Amino acid sequence: MSSGRLRWSTPGLRLAAAALALATLLLPAAPLLAQAYQPGMYGGDFPLIGRRNAIWIVAQVHLMFAAFVLGVPMFAVVTEAIGIWGKDDRYDRLSKEFTRLLLVAYSATALLGGLFLFLLVTLYPGLFAFLSEIFHVSMWIYAALFFFESATLYMYYYGWDHWKKGRAKLAHLGLGVLLNIWGTLVLFIANAWLTFMMSPPGDMTPDTSPAMVQFWSAFANATWMPINIHRLIANAVFGGSIVAAYAAYRFLNSRTPEERAHYDWMGYVGNFIAIAVFLVLPFAGYWLGREIYEYNQQMGVTMMGGFMSWLWIVQAFLIGVLFLAANYYLWLGLGRIPGGERFVPYTKWMLAVLILGFMVWATPHSMIADRDELAAMGGTHHPFLGVLGLMSAKNTAVNLMILTTFLSFLMYRRANKIPTVSWARTGTLTQGTLLAVCAAVVVFYGIYGYFVPTLVRIGFSVYQVLAVLFTIVAVIVLDVLLMRRAESRGPIRWGEMPERSQYALFVLVITFTWLMGLMGFARSGIRQHWHVYEVVRDTTAQAATPALGYAAQIISACVVIFLLMISFVFWIGGMIAKPTLVAREEAAP
Amino acid sequence: MTSVDLKILAVGAVTIATYTLVANVIPQLESELPPEMDLSAEMTPDELVAIGSQLYEGAGGCVVCHSETPGGRAPNLRTDFQGEGTIGSRCADRVEGLSCKEYLHQSLVRPGDHMVEGYPPIMPSVERTLAQPQIWAIVAYLESQGGEVTVTTADIPDEPADAPPPGEVPGAAVALSDPAEIVRQECSQCHVHQGEGVQLGPALDGIGARRSVDELRRAILDPPSVVSEGNEELVGLMPADFGRRFTAEQLESVVQYLSGLR
Repeated sequence: MSSGRLRWSTPGLRLAAAALALATLLLPAAPLLAQAYQPGMYGGDFPLIGRRNAIWIVAQVHLMFAAFVLGVPMFAVVTEAIGIWGKDDRYDRLSKEFTRLLLVAYSATALLGGLFLFLLVTLYPGLFAFLSEIFHVSMWIYAALFFFESATLYMYYYGWDHWKKGRAKLAHLGLGVLLNIWGTLVLFIANAWLTFMMSPPGDMTPDTSPAMVQFWSAFANATWMPINIHRLIANAVFGGSIVAAYAAYRFLNSRTPEERAHYDWMGYVGNFIAIAVFLVLPFAGYWLGREIYEYNQQMGVTMMGGFMSWLWIVQAFLIGVLFLAANYYLWLGLGRIPGGERFVPYTKWMLAVLILGFMVWATPHSMIADRDELAAMGGTHHPFLGVLGLMSAKNTAVNLMILTTFLSFLMYRRANKIPTVSWARTGTLTQGTLLAVCAAVVVFYGIYGYFVPTLVRIGFSVYQVLAVLFTIVAVIVLDVLLMRRAESRGPIRWGEMPERSQYALFVLVITFTWLMGLMGFARSGIRQHWHVYEVVRDTTAQAATPALGYAAQIISACVVIFLLMISFVFWIGGMIAKPTLVAREEAAP
Repeated sequence: MTSVDLKILAVGAVTIATYTLVANVIPQLESELPPEMDLSAEMTPDELVAIGSQLYEGAGGCVVCHSETPGGRAPNLRTDFQGEGTIGSRCADRVEGLSCKEYLHQSLVRPGDHMVEGYPPIMPSVERTLAQPQIWAIVAYLESQGGEVTVTTADIPDEPADAPPPGEVPGAAVALSDPAEIVRQECSQCHVHQGEGVQLGPALDGIGARRSVDELRRAILDPPSVVSEGNEELVGLMPADFGRRFTAEQLESVVQYLSGLR
């Protein structure tokens, strides 16, 4: 039996000493050994579609799912809060129904995220190594946040019926808020990585070692916060539109009047949230565009006046479709509201404003034209349309379209109500005056913009936006006060909605999804042949940013894949439980 | 699958197809890749000449003025010039004490130092648009026009192998705030203004009456998008890096200043 004392002759001790000696000898060579393997910039190519398309499609579909799982909790928590403070159980049930679908969608998002990561590591190992050298700590935090987010989501959904009264219900709502906080943090972290690729710190050059980059200057880069805000708003819009499309599908397949009523109402709420939030999205877009110009004029010109200039015409087309479809749905909805018919004659004039605005917004201006096109136009701009293509005209058009859509909501809201307050007539006149003055202010600055220098003109867009925002807020506040204790002309006949209205909701969700793909292409494409703008160059055969036609095919493929997958999610979600239906006739929302 | 499902699919398919179609019928523009120049240390003179030839014909913009037809803006370099032969055969005799490659390099980076009699001082320094390895490749090409190529990779300063392409050479940020001074320092190398400057591009006097503010801004940021009549052959010469070098404030002040030149 061993005495327990260690002796030099002990084999284990000799082995340990030899290992120590070897390690000491190799210590000076450690850096060399560490550098013995360096990942190449690129891994093997992806079969059939190539590495760029593979990463493009997976990233885009992942982003669409991410927008859904971040947007729906916003929708859920708002509707739950309305249910609590409005003492209306319908909203609570609606919120729960969508949180149930969130469970399945969450898994799909995580799986796509994992696939995206593996593709990045295997197809672009050098780029991933570069990014992780700078962002590794935030990557760990990002992964850790998923644990918190998952746990909160499970508690939020499975605790719904457990914590449904009194303070427990408020605590449950708090879980919903917490879920949104985790989601927002996840979004902000991921946004830092992608915006860094777009707008790295100005002192970085191709020779800058990633180890020397200060974390915070890379993280909080020039376009980080504008993208954060833009995506937060866009996610809420997207969540609402998906809810509306889901409700439309259920509405069209309903077998009982109660089912139709429930899904008609759900479609209305989803669409209301989507369009209401959508109205502020252009302002966030302006801010982002301005920050891009401030960061790098060249990038701004590439985006708005360079090879991407036509992209904004396609965007204008899509947004025009959004405005038309959203208003069409609301106008059809007037038919199921007692008293709604009195507003119908006005809709043709509103349609005219929307179409004119659409045409102005889609007018090209700073296009890249070849010599024949220049000769045909008689200059760099069309003699007549060139005037309408200026931002003065476009800003005026979009602000009037926003005001018109707001008016549709107002008509819808007031359709079955008769105000009883003593100042009802004065209040309504004040609302009308506010809207008219706002439209006049928007048109005035639109025309005046042609007679002042550009810098002054750019400032006018702020006045136009402020006028519209102020008017919307003021008119809504007035309307809430006006309609207190209002008499009802009769309840909304939920379910009595023409079927074509539901197809408008499908057009809306498809258009939102396609728009997301297009804007993803714009954001990524303005980097051109750089992985990290002017720092890490794309040296693959696919470095050139493709033309819009090719990009449109990839975007369409992404949209189809996403819609098929989300349909599957809904199908699975529908098997878990059946919702409790609302009554066919209930008070107006 | 029910008839409702089919209708939904049809609406979806038509909507997606419409957007795809709209995006395909508008003009298709792809971002262009800057040309690759592999100027490695192992290059032979022939390889340097080949790259120099590419640059001379293309990104360098040399043929815009140095044409072979009589009456060009600048001396003919590739065929006989006034009985003196091609540039490769006469370069060593142009300036006493300078070898052929030294003369050519100086003429490219400081064109005003060695003017050829009878020609106006219109040539801008190529350092604004080309990197040093690229300039030396052009020198090698010019030497090859009737002479012996003496440029070697030893002449080329130690710069990144993938030298930035034309228009992407990072210029120093402009530190001035007075637009008149910015124009004098930055624009007069190719444009005449108030009697000063090089008469290569259009004169700046009266430019505000000829161009709108938007056109002026685009002309600075994206020069090929705004071309003055009669200057089509100069497309590509003007550096496209002002967007990086000017702050937004500087750019707007220069645009407003130019707009006021009526």
